[in-house]
Amino acid sequence: MIGEALTPLAREHFQRLAHGGCFAPGVAAVSGEAGRESIGTRVRFHLRLAGAAVAEARFQAYGCPHVLAVASWLAGELAGRRRDALIPGSPAEWARLFGVPDAKLGRLLVIEDALRDCIAKWPPGPPPPGQQS
Amino acid sequence: MNGAGAARPAYLDNAATTAVDPRVAAAMAECLTGEGAYGNPSSTTHAYGHEAAARVEAARAEVAALVGARPAEIVFTSGATEASNLAILGTARANADRRRHLVTARTEHRATLDPMRRLEREGFAVTWLAADRDGRIAPDAVRAALRPDTLLVSIMQVNNETGAVQDIAAIGAACRAAGALLHSDLAQGVGKLPTLFAGQVDFASFTAHKIHGPKGIGALYVAAAARPWIAPIVFGGGQERGLRSGTLPTHQIAGFGRACALARAEGTADAARMAGLRAALWRNLSEMPGVLPNSPLADGSPAILNVSFEGVEGESLVTALEEIAVSTGSACSSASGEPSYVLRALGRSTELAQGSLRFSLGRFTTATDIERAGDAVRRAVTRLRGIAP
Repeated sequence: MIGEALTPLAREHFQRLAHGGCFAPGVAAVSGEAGRESIGTRVRFHLRLAGAAVAEARFQAYGCPHVLAVASWLAGELAGRRRDALIPGSPAEWARLFGVPDAKLGRLLVIEDALRDCIAKWPPGPPPPGQQS
Repeated sequence: MNGAGAARPAYLDNAATTAVDPRVAAAMAECLTGEGAYGNPSSTTHAYGHEAAARVEAARAEVAALVGARPAEIVFTSGATEASNLAILGTARANADRRRHLVTARTEHRATLDPMRRLEREGFAVTWLAADRDGRIAPDAVRAALRPDTLLVSIMQVNNETGAVQDIAAIGAACRAAGALLHSDLAQGVGKLPTLFAGQVDFASFTAHKIHGPKGIGALYVAAAARPWIAPIVFGGGQERGLRSGTLPTHQIAGFGRACALARAEGTADAARMAGLRAALWRNLSEMPGVLPNSPLADGSPAILNVSFEGVEGESLVTALEEIAVSTGSACSSASGEPSYVLRALGRSTELAQGSLRFSLGRFTTATDIERAGDAVRRAVTRLRGIAP
């Protein structure tokens, strides 16, 4: 809630909002989103893929400072991740890392849902080596 | 700089509270230490008490003069919240065997809404009036709500979130014609708008800390003719003509009196200056797209400008605005976790209520503060919209 100071990590990410925005038109990317403005949180991730992994991620978000900070951090963490291990950690772990109040945990679930939507929209590719029949 | 030093944010949250005027602080200091009027004003057996009582009565006269009342019609309380509770609960419970209908508006301050809800649970009937999109309560709507058993109407003079100003004189006339009592919360009006309502209202709440006085002291105006209709809700000592027991805080009251005297002497000029600054701030903000006023721009309070920014969440906006101190209608600013009930009652969407800021001005607000605010808001809104989905 307002008045509860952001932790230094949350403040740093909120102030920088690194990886914010979307890719230029024409750049192929997988996008997933969740939430809506009327519930106070809406998050969208864009993943530019290189082969079977994320080359670069961007985020767009409407929400409180904690939501923006966590989404910004996550966008930076996604590079190099594959579809089957896209989400780094869990909302509870993000909450602990960023000092997110318990009352806001539901907002982090919206972020997780946006990443799950990315996974759902990730185009099927050839199976990983060793799993080919 | 608000007298607070260049490194601190520009203070634009004067509807929440104001800085104590140094002249007020000086008057308070005269009542605190061993050389001052520190006695108990109720002590009638020695000079210390007499001196304190004289300070209290001098202050009472200043407070009364600000609202056009007689000194005997002023009851000191801990603030406007207590004053409103005394007016509403004290009147209702004293007359529960005669009249059990009350009228108020959904856009009132919680200090009115919560005692009204309490009385509903005690079996009173409450009519909840709706405001128009500008936050005004039509006097005709009040008139239509009145019933033969209506005891009390409570309508604030200036809305604390939007600055909408009610026609208290017309509402008072409607109440008098129907034989109902009228209480008005003047907390955001005194010192900024004419508040000479004696004769038009029966009860009026106001507080020192909104007019550069100290926190912890306020008053309820009780019109002489309305005195038989109200009973105390606090007991023990019988101070304030039996309506509000408790040792009178001489220093707080002296500060309140000085603040009222300053408001009477300087309030008109302060308000004119604030109106100019408010207009300048709106001109600056309204150059951006997607900026919607929640305050009546033409005839609202000169001290309050409430604005919604499309596509921006209020808590993030406030947090990004490190250079200015303002409040937001975002859910995170409320204990209920819901966005501003006032803005929602005026028909604003949840998103617009979430993305609102209230800028409120005071005696010490400068043109530099307003320029800083406008520039800071533009930067923050542009940045947050830049990452919005």
